[in-house]
Amino acid sequence: MIGVELVKQLHRPRGWVTLGLVAAVPIVLVLVVGLSRPTVAERLGDYGSVVTNSSGLTLPLIALSAMLLFLLPLAVAVFAGETVAGEASWGSLRYLLARPVPRSRVLASKAVVAAGFSVATVVVVVVSGVVGGVLAFGWHPVTVVDLQHTTVFHVAAATFSAPAMVLRTLAAAAFILATLASTFAFAFFLSTLTTRPFSAVAGGVGLSLVSRALDNVPGLHALSPWLPVTDSGTTAWTGFFTSPPQTTDVVHTLVVQAVYSAGFLIAAFVWFTRSDIVA
Amino acid sequence: MIWVEFKKQWRRPRTVITFAALAVFSVVLTVAISATGSGTVERVGDVPLLIVPGTSGLSVPVIALSSTMKFFLPLAVAIFAGESVAGEAGWGSLRYALARPVSRAAYLATKLFVALVLSLVAIVLIPVAAVVAGTVAFGWHHLVIVNGAASTATHQVVANFSPGLVLGYLGVATAYVAAGMMSIFAFSFLLSTLTTRPFVAVAGGVSLTIVSRVFNSDYLPGVAVLNPYMPNNDVDLWQNFFVRPAVTSGMAHFLVLQVVYVVVFLGAAWIWFVRKDILT
Repeated sequence: MIGVELVKQLHRPRGWVTLGLVAAVPIVLVLVVGLSRPTVAERLGDYGSVVTNSSGLTLPLIALSAMLLFLLPLAVAVFAGETVAGEASWGSLRYLLARPVPRSRVLASKAVVAAGFSVATVVVVVVSGVVGGVLAFGWHPVTVVDLQHTTVFHVAAATFSAPAMVLRTLAAAAFILATLASTFAFAFFLSTLTTRPFSAVAGGVGLSLVSRALDNVPGLHALSPWLPVTDSGTTAWTGFFTSPPQTTDVVHTLVVQAVYSAGFLIAAFVWFTRSDIVA
Repeated sequence: MIWVEFKKQWRRPRTVITFAALAVFSVVLTVAISATGSGTVERVGDVPLLIVPGTSGLSVPVIALSSTMKFFLPLAVAIFAGESVAGEAGWGSLRYALARPVSRAAYLATKLFVALVLSLVAIVLIPVAAVVAGTVAFGWHHLVIVNGAASTATHQVVANFSPGLVLGYLGVATAYVAAGMMSIFAFSFLLSTLTTRPFVAVAGGVSLTIVSRVFNSDYLPGVAVLNPYMPNNDVDLWQNFFVRPAVTSGMAHFLVLQVVYVVVFLGAAWIWFVRKDILT
């Protein structure tokens, strides 16, 4: 079943177009940074700041940091939101379910393939950032200025060797994927509710927007730790690039993501296995 | 014709729900603040303004307007503008509406006017509800605001505003925010004439705020040159009224920018709609 679904999705241009676009973003950033502001320090989240042209290995971090606000949630919502609603809008869902396979297996294989594309999206950003960055600025150690401990009198900085940077970048990419899980699960749930892929995709992106908007209301701090998408949660990975690493929010963020994702996915399965399919 | 349109929109649950949600937001915000620490300092905006909410009820409208102007108010405005024409098309009633002996331009102007009035009511509702809720919770006192940018560890830059002055500033600030919503309003209205699905028009309008936020030099290197031309970026400049001396630089530029966006989007909507082949 997973193979069937994978072959189907690989034949659709949507996945390739999305991956191509996210691969292009780090390249464009390399060009912009290389042409206009190579020696300017770029800020990463709350913890670190890097000087771009000191090493190509800064580029994947800058790309991830720039894309996690909107483009990555959008890409993930596209993959998750298209799954069931895409079939419904083509009118092929009822024929798909006519095969002698339980609905839960159909849904599971769609979820696995969509999740695979989502993982591929982040991997493509990292690879494209590393390749583009190293070609432009070389394979050097990176010095990260620790913004939380730097004062007027003292610059707190840590230097990471190139292989250490790659390892930490992979850890950061894995964490960023985890923070996208609630958006993925919500778009997937919506996809089982609606027959319009656009609604599911927009709803998934909408979750991250509403959540961030609520996160930024002064006076609602009590709510922030329990929201699915927050500024501090999605940038907690920047703490990996200080020495010692600062991982205060990491575990909490992962638990919150797991709870939301499980909730939305269970809702999707419960709904889909009982829904009256008319499309 | 305008009256007919008002009655039609008012009967739609969407209108009432949007208004109710915005009013409830201010009330919930007040309750949340008083329940979780009205005595602690809140950082408001990019300045930042440091406010202790419990000292005056008039802090609540400042916080409420700050926290809705970047997403919730654009959403409300996009709902009213995006629904206007696409809502009729979605119901399949647009062709019958246009069969009446009224020019399309007049019909479009009516839709525009009603959606605009509803949007303005939505925007005004936030500070008004917040003033009422805040005053009930924290009283009608002078508002003390610390300028977080100018203050240091040893020296606080404090400004004290009388209630009447705060109300005056809030009035101007609300007008400024309302003007800042107009690019989103006009873009949703344009999309509303293009599509037959209201949701698409609403989402498209909200996407303008996303564009503003993505092309922000805080996140993306090399886009600082674009920042002054983003439709929703400088909607927070009214917060500079509450520093001493008040700063108004950039506001005129932003208002002119809004006018340009509105003229382009509404012009396109008008050109498109008077010639369009209406199928629904």
